[in-house]
Order: sequence, then structure tokens, then C-alpha cells
Amino acid sequence: MRAHSTLTRRLLASALPVALLIGQDAAPGRADPLIGRTIGAYGLPGAIDTPTAEMLPDSTLGATVAYSNMARRNSIVFQALPRLTVVLRYSRVESTEERRGYIWDRSFDLRYQFLDEDPNSWRPAVAIGLQDFLGTGIFSAEYLVATKTINPRLRISAGLGWGRLAQQGSIGNPFGHRPDPDDEEGGKPNVDQWFRGDVAPFVSASWQATDNIYLTAEYSGDRYACETGDTEDCPRTPWLSDEDELKNRLNLGLTYQIGQNYQLTGYVLGGKQLGVQFTVAMDPRQSPFPSGTEKAPAPVRPRVARNADPEGWSGAWSADPTAHPAIQKALGDALADEGQVLESMALDANRAEVRIRNNRYIQQAEAIGRTARLMTRALPPSVETLVITSSQDGMPTSSVTLRRSDVERLENTEASQISEAAVLSSADPRPGNLVYTPGLFPRFSWSLRPYVSTSLFDPDEPFRYEVGAQLSGEYELMPGLILSGSVRQRAFGNKDQDAPGSLTVGEYKALDTDYNSNGVPRVRSDSRMYSGDKGPTVPRLTLAWYAKPTEDIYSRVTVGLLERAFGGVSGEVLWWPSNSRLALGAEINRVKKRDFRDVFGFRDYEVTTGHVSAYYDFQNGISTQLDIGKYLAGDKGATLTVTREFANGWRVGAWVTKTDMSTEDFGEGSFDKGVTLSIPLAWGTGQPSLRRVGGNIRSLSRDGGTRVSVRGRLYDTIRDSQSGQINQGWGRFWR
Amino acid sequence: MNRKITRGAIGAALLAMLAACGNTGSEGSISGMFATALKQSAARMRGEEAKVAPAPDPSAMAAEALRVNPGPLILVGLERMGTTQVLAMTGQNAGQRTYMTKNEQALIMRDGMLVGTRGLGNDLSVAEMSGSSALIRSGRSGQARRVMRYWTGDGLERPLSLDCTIGPGAKAGTIVESCQNGPLNIQNNYIVQGGRVTVSRQWIGPNLGYVTIQELRP
Repeated sequence: MRAHSTLTRRLLASALPVALLIGQDAAPGRADPLIGRTIGAYGLPGAIDTPTAEMLPDSTLGATVAYSNMARRNSIVFQALPRLTVVLRYSRVESTEERRGYIWDRSFDLRYQFLDEDPNSWRPAVAIGLQDFLGTGIFSAEYLVATKTINPRLRISAGLGWGRLAQQGSIGNPFGHRPDPDDEEGGKPNVDQWFRGDVAPFVSASWQATDNIYLTAEYSGDRYACETGDTEDCPRTPWLSDEDELKNRLNLGLTYQIGQNYQLTGYVLGGKQLGVQFTVAMDPRQSPFPSGTEKAPAPVRPRVARNADPEGWSGAWSADPTAHPAIQKALGDALADEGQVLESMALDANRAEVRIRNNRYIQQAEAIGRTARLMTRALPPSVETLVITSSQDGMPTSSVTLRRSDVERLENTEASQISEAAVLSSADPRPGNLVYTPGLFPRFSWSLRPYVSTSLFDPDEPFRYEVGAQLSGEYELMPGLILSGSVRQRAFGNKDQDAPGSLTVGEYKALDTDYNSNGVPRVRSDSRMYSGDKGPTVPRLTLAWYAKPTEDIYSRVTVGLLERAFGGVSGEVLWWPSNSRLALGAEINRVKKRDFRDVFGFRDYEVTTGHVSAYYDFQNGISTQLDIGKYLAGDKGATLTVTREFANGWRVGAWVTKTDMSTEDFGEGSFDKGVTLSIPLAWGTGQPSLRRVGGNIRSLSRDGGTRVSVRGRLYDTIRDSQSGQINQGWGRFWR
Repeated sequence: MNRKITRGAIGAALLAMLAACGNTGSEGSISGMFATALKQSAARMRGEEAKVAPAPDPSAMAAEALRVNPGPLILVGLERMGTTQVLAMTGQNAGQRTYMTKNEQALIMRDGMLVGTRGLGNDLSVAEMSGSSALIRSGRSGQARRVMRYWTGDGLERPLSLDCTIGPGAKAGTIVESCQNGPLNIQNNYIVQGGRVTVSRQWIGPNLGYVTIQELRP
């Protein structure tokens, strides 16, 4: 492990006994899906080229790099539900259509285990799968597969495969002819091909030889027709290549498990071709520091007996005008030590409300729990009702109301007890007696730090990066009115300025147009024209005003340079009662395309875009968002996003956008789609922080179906302090 | 080419020099953590890891703490980490006492029985063991169920229940609580004086293992 830095080690190490703890929860007799032991060449649990019915532990996120003469496949796998595995793959595929001789092809897989294995009978686990079911589909195949544990070391799988899995050994075509693959823009589900054409059986066996060595053998129907130049069975001629033909249908592999998180596999395909692959897998539920290493909270201070402080208990202190400021100062200082800002406070003889901005804890419930304890230490004994209101960018979101005697009575008990005693409600936007903490506003903050900007998956250069320094500043004139921006200076990198298509930068500039040859506005396809600036750039400079006009309605107006490519005005309203699982919003933007180089200059393209959105939170950590409206290129359509979010802050989601832009106008990929990943840094390091790592992986960056990327959209701004996230996070109240 | 490399190197050096600064606090900054990680690896490569400061003598530490701090104190040894520290009481709520180290890691105790830990990374949220506690403190033998709750990596609090048998230990005056859940077997040892545990070795959890706790001043 010496080779790793402490950080990687922390990120990858995992705490084994969590399994023991999680096992406690499982209802007796509840069937669990069959969990795979080795990862196949497509990045899912499997043999080598053939699939098995196995799953990964729920919510596992993994990545596999598989490399052979015949294929280079990089896969990201996510166990989206206990029985549903999804894969995004990025593979190098030979193509005579491209002058460079290959393309980097993106593909998606799904596998669903619909029948659990019964360890006490003959019944195997059974799964159905779609491989490379969108787009051009060089790996396209469908299968039905059963896996049975013969003994603790040996598992056997057998199934039927269509498409690529039936290039040889066909036993017929029960559902009719398989049409040729889409040779146009790709990107759409190739439904007409699923389970069509020849079907062939496949078999595999996996044997655990030692604690960390697995031997695999399979009898596969994939004979790499295109890769070995077999014109008859290769569905498209541009994919033809001339590798040596496989000698037989038998593939053999050896997998070495390194620790809990890594696997290294070597294999021989058909007695002829060699391959190697490496897998890393992480379980979001297994953090190296599950409780975090943040310091202990200050304990509750119980109130003294009535006769020991009659004045405090009577509430007479509240008549003293110096009492409130002194208490607010003391509490504000104590909260500051906890990474919380005491924005304002209302205080009377038996009720206190504090409005806090949480700058430290991913789980808002932890911030609320620490604030409640500090309130028991700062407030006179007559105050019995404690109200803790979360504030996000000056907007009060939810209020948690607690009885002080409950906080005293339930300190350090099972978290469900305090969650039952607490009442969560939408915060009153303008309570009468609220006093702002003096000296907070105007608030100025700044930072100067290095940045790394990367762009992946460019066919010509899969990894582009830029490193430099970024100066950011934020000036909050009054709560909710925020002027912010950043300046970047590139130091080095290979992210250079580049024009779309085969044009040179000079040629593209000379064309001086914002439309492509089909008349589609270039809103994203020329985004690399913004790269590679040697001088300072201003990625963002905005004035934003956040407000909460009524109890359940939030609003935002942002003006300025909204993002690298667009500037203008963006307005948004959101209806979201704190206890509601449903939220509804509307957004309208008037934006103009920014100049490639001139910081404050604009190009000619100007557009009004807008959306209405509905958000719904299913309580098991799954949320959806539907946006309907007009996109940047003037196309109209809808975006559907599905996200799985854990109480620890991990988010994994996927979205698709379909607009009225024709697939020809959209170009390769047909419509916009992708996945998002966001991991709280605190999960890996144990140190409390709101920082996250992650980003969007979109299948292709095209002009259709894209939105202006404005900062601080309301839903994302306030979601952490609404009921869904707070209820998931109650467990951290006493942390 | 050569010039380009030099420029790149200078750029990197400048970036490292500016590292991260500002008034937003480097709390949890990515670059800050990389810097720490780098420093640690560098230190390890230089073999600094081997130079461990000599462990302070626990009795000297206890004597010093007793002299400086007038309140209740306990001496705590985390076996798996090999550390011994004096913790001072920072709060008391209905018989539940919170003890903290100087760097604000805490142990929560009730009558000398461990209720929870805070700030150790694999903390025990709460141990529900009133049955065990009553038997142990009254010196009786018997059976009791204990529920230990932990924060798990997914951000939730999850229970681990243990079935325990309480009885006299091998040495006179000691009490043993043996607990079991499937393959997991743990043993807590106690010495009771005046109805509360004064010296003990108790299990915190799967990752932290055992802690020894000695009452220095009640």
C-alpha cells in the first residue's frame, strides 16, 4: 500500500464490519440478490465475454479497464438498485469511416436479476440483460442467464444470447430477423433489434481456487467477427479489422483479488488472443471514517433547578435590553466555532429562534443537532421552545422546532427518538422580532487557489487538461444579494483552442457565424473555442438575488456572465413546502453568447430559454426531476433526471433530454443524455466539509437539448435542508 | 520543447507556492488535503515514521492532570491505537457524563459504563445497556441484551445487538460481561466500587476495539 498517498488510501480503504452492521437490519428470510465475485470484460459481474446473473452489492460504483488486441473497453458500473446493474462504457472501435482509423464509442448496458437464487433448492438466480442497447451497437447483445452456486467455491452459469453473443453456435431465431444496426446518428435505443435474430447458448464456470484467486472458463458465442475480418457475420463493414481468428469458442481467465477494492484479470480468448483488465470498486456505504473525525460536540447543559435561578426561570431577564445582544453574541461565537453562521435570532422569555448557515456538515441534521446543544448552553432557563431555521444564501428554508426538555432528556439516545420529538415546517419568511447578528453584512470572502480543469472522451485526445490559478470573490451586500465571480489564469495544459468539425480556428473565426451548415445555432459544439486562452479569463461574474416571498415560494434572479459561453439574465421561482415530496418550479433566461476571448464581449447569438420543472422525492433515496421547455438552441422538449442519493451525500444520477430538434440536426448521438456523480469529500477523508468531487459524464456535447449552466439553481440550493434530506440524516443529530 | 518544460515546471512551482489562500478558510480544501498527503508521504519516505515520540508515562500524566484540573478525570487507553490520554469531564446530564481530550475527542459514560464516543472516526453513537449495567453494578450474575448503535458510511445510524452473560471474573472483585452475536464475541471486564464502575476494559466497536478506562477522580 506504500505506493498510494494517504488520500487515495483513505478514499479506497473500507471498513469491513459495516457488513456486519448492515446484516443486523436485514429481515430474517429476506432473499438477497446473488452477488458476483469477478468482473467480466464488459465491466459487469460475469465470466469473460459472457454474462452471469450476478449483481454487485447495492450501490457499488466501479470502473474497469479491459484491454486486448481485439478490444479496448473502459466501463463504469453502478448497482443502481439491489437488482439492477447499469454500465456506461467507452470503447475504442476500429472504423474505416474515420481518418484516424478508430472511434471512441460509448455504450450502455442494463442487467436485471428478476429471480433470486434459492440456496436450499435447485433454483438458480436468473437475470435478463441488454448490452450496448443504444446507438451504433457494435457490442449489441441481449441475454437471459441463470447462475447457480454449486458449492462455496464453484458457480456455474448458462444462458441464451442474441446479437453479438450468437455470432456462432446458433440454434435458431425464434423472434425473427435482426435488422442491420443504425448507421446514422446513433444514440437511440435499438428496440427493433432486441432479442431478434440468431440465438446461441453459452456456459461459464467460476472456481475460487484460493482466498483471492478465481479461475474462469466459458464457452462463448462471440467470435469477434468484425475484429477478425469476417465480412459475413460482421453487421457493419466500417468495423472490419484483421486480427487473427479465434481457434475455438473456449475462453479462460484468472482473476486476482487485491484487497477489497481491486481486481486484476488475465485471459485467453479462443486459445489465440490475450487480454488483461483491472477493476476498482467502491461501496458508498463503506466509508473509511463512517462517523467522521470532526471533534465532539459540546454536550447539553441541563438547566439548574428552579429555586437556584428564580430570575432566569421567571423570564424576567427578557425585559433587560442588554440580554438579547449578549446572548446572541455568545451563541454566534460558539456556532462560528462549529462552522455555522448565526445569521439572525429572535428571542423572548420562552421561545428562541436561530437562523443558521451551515458551512461545515454534509448532513444538515448534524448542524441542527449541534446548534440545539449550544442553545441549551447559551439560553436562560425559561426558554423552552427552540426553533432552528436553516438558511441557504439568505433564504430561510425549513424550521426544526424542539422542546428544550426533549433535547435534555434525549441527549445521546437512538436518533429516532429526537426525530419523533422534532417538528419540521416551512420557515416563516419574515417573522417580526428577528434581529440580524451585527457585523455579518456586507460579507466579503475571497480565495486564491490552483484549479485543474479536465475534459475527457475527446476522440482525438481522450484526456485534455488545464492547470492554473483561480481567484474567486464573493460579496454579499445584504442577506441573499450576492455579487460573485472568479478570474482564472492558465499556467499550462493541453486544452487548446479548437474549432468545431474539421475547421481550423482561423477558418472558423473567418466564417464568423454562430450556426452550423444545417442552420442549427452553435451553442455547445464550439465550446472549445473558449479554451486555451493564455490571458486571464472570467468564467463567471454575476449578481444574484435570492429571496423567499412567501412561506413556500423561493425566488432567484441572476444577472451577468452566467457561464463561460453565455451571459444575460436568469430568473426562477420554486414552490416547495418543507414537508413536501413534490416541488414545482419555473425558470426563464434571456442570454447572449459570449465572445471567445473578449471578457466582456458578446457574439450575435441571443435567445430566450425557459423551463417548467417538477421534482419528486421518493422516500427511498430516489428522486426524479422533469423539465419541460425551450433549450439554448431554441429547440423545445423535455429532460428527465433520475437520481439516487444516500444519506451520506453521495449522488448518482442519469438524465435524458429529447427535443424537437431532428436527429440529423442533432448529429451523432441523436439526443442528449448522461450521468452525474457527486461524492462528498468528507466521505473519503473523514474531515467535515461541504465540498464535493464529481461531475457530469455526457455521452456527447452537442447543440440540442442543452441548458444555460447558471449557478445556484433553487432546488439544488435548498434541498439539503428540506424534509427529505433532513429525515434521511436524522441519525447524525447527536454526532 | 525544453523551454516549454521549464515553463511548465516553473508554473507548477508557483502554483504550489500559492497553494490555497483566502478568507474562506481552507477547511476541507482539496489542495490542502493533497498537500497534507504529500507531506505525509514525503515524511514517510524520509523514514520519519520510525521516530515515534516516547510515550509519556501514564502515571506522570495522571498526576499532572490531577494537579491542573479540579474536576472529574478519567485515564483512557485505546488499545488498537496504542494511545493513553487523560480526559476531563465537560458536561453532565442526568447521570450521563461527557469526558473530552484536549483536542475534543469525547467519551460518554454513565456510572462508569461506556455509552458513546465522539470524534474517533468509527464512533459508537450510543450503547443501550441498562440491563447489563444494573447487573454489573449490583454484582449479580445474569443475562442481558445490549444494543450498540454506530454511524455507518452511508450516513445512517445502525444497531448491533449482542446477547450478554454477566458473571464474576477470574480475579476476585472483577466482573465479566461476555457478549455474542453470530461470529462476534466480545468480553468487557469491570471493577465496581460504590455502585459504579471505576476500572474497566470495554469494547467500543468493530473498528476501534477495546478501551481501558480508569477513574482518576470521581
